[in-house]
Amino acid sequence: MANPKRYAMVLDSRKCIDCKACVVACKAENDVPPGVFRNRINAEHGGAFPRLRASFDPEQCHHCDNPSCVRVCPTGASFQREDGIVQVREADCIGCKYCMIACPYDARFFNEETRVVDKCTFCAHRVDRGELPACVETCPSKVRTFGDLTDPRSALHALLESRRYRVLKPQTGNGPQLYYLL
Amino acid sequence: MREPVWEFLIVNYLFLGGLSAGIFFVSAFCTWLQTDGKPVYPRIARTGALLAPWPVALGSFLLIFDLGKWWRFWKLFVIFRWESPMSIGSWLLLVFTGITLVNLFAWLTEDERNALFARIPARTPGRARILALNRDLGSWKRRLAMLGFPFAIGVGIYTGVLLGAVQARPFWNTNLVAQLFLFSALSTGTAALILARMVEKGPRDLAEFRFLYTLDICLILLEFFIVLPYLIHGQLSVLAVREALSLVLGGPFTFIFWGLFLGAGLLLPLAIELWEFKPVLMGSGTLHITRGLAMTAAGLVIFGGYVLRYVFVFAGQASGFR
Repeated sequence: MANPKRYAMVLDSRKCIDCKACVVACKAENDVPPGVFRNRINAEHGGAFPRLRASFDPEQCHHCDNPSCVRVCPTGASFQREDGIVQVREADCIGCKYCMIACPYDARFFNEETRVVDKCTFCAHRVDRGELPACVETCPSKVRTFGDLTDPRSALHALLESRRYRVLKPQTGNGPQLYYLL
Repeated sequence: MREPVWEFLIVNYLFLGGLSAGIFFVSAFCTWLQTDGKPVYPRIARTGALLAPWPVALGSFLLIFDLGKWWRFWKLFVIFRWESPMSIGSWLLLVFTGITLVNLFAWLTEDERNALFARIPARTPGRARILALNRDLGSWKRRLAMLGFPFAIGVGIYTGVLLGAVQARPFWNTNLVAQLFLFSALSTGTAALILARMVEKGPRDLAEFRFLYTLDICLILLEFFIVLPYLIHGQLSVLAVREALSLVLGGPFTFIFWGLFLGAGLLLPLAIELWEFKPVLMGSGTLHITRGLAMTAAGLVIFGGYVLRYVFVFAGQASGFR
């Protein structure tokens, strides 16, 4: 039997220009209602004029290896696919919001239209068709690299092999799968 | 600070669940304590049995009402996930509420039972079968008390476990929260019974009050000695926990925690109850029963229990890792 895939994303934040094309693409692709977002750009500004600094870190669900959102879900609506993608089964979600509280990345939100919890799915519907997530395909400055961690030929693999990287809040023990290049 | 996800309905539910657990626990304890085959404090046991089901039933209703899709709440009972405190808690609540209702029925007198069943409209389908349920369960009282103990403790502690199990919120992520919630639940239950016995007319049984005061003073002290290590351990812990504690140590929840919970809701009623209890402690007589003071102290304990849940629900959600 073939090894299961393990999808992850590498982000090269230094390339991010905060154009928010990924945010718009995600909303359009996944029909995300107004006022809420499945992904975001965390902007940080520093320094004093004229020596100013700005950094932009795109963030969304980290599709953790050991996701606390899945663990606390009372109905099993939050689940992890074999390929590591964490999803919410809308038909089983009762909207208790426990997973939203348990997520250390605040990556989940309550969808007022569906009355259940919503979040990034890594565009699983596209990935299953062999396509890239909408945010990855749209990004004009190529911040995002999506791929299979178990495939040594993937671009993602090459980046993680050749560059230093970090993950956010590793101390929570969730095993996040968004890798930020340094 | 992030926007809270769980709001007042959850605070109310955590409080009401704990209140019922506390009332049932004290009532069951009074049923279990017997001399010559009779409960030592039958009036506390009966008052508790009559009161216990209602707060938890109201709390469960609020909990269901708070769901995004409340009509799917039944899904909680077709799936059991031992890893999810909410899943365990749903079952605990269901069984506990069932036990409190059967226990209430067991404490009804024959006249009360007959009056209750007389209210069933004549056209109700299956009326005969319902009427057949009108049985005397008086002999079950002690067994129901024993059966209910673990479930009452379970409901009392589970509300804290629900929060404590969330590793992403450092304000909650300690087992002390579960213990604090348990002792607070038992204390608010005791206070509710003091209040209920005070409201009832007729001569007061000093032995009853002596028992309730002893219990409440012990519970408040236990609560206090959990708050202290919670703060001390937190201050000696990692940065994220220290930052979380800063929410009550100079942050936006400082007055609510120190003034309303610890001061007005814990230490002030403790002082009043100790004063009422002083003659017993000094061996110089029986306890004072000053109606106004006793009711104030009991009211403050209940208020403190509510504020404790308010602070933990909101401050906990404001805490996180950087």
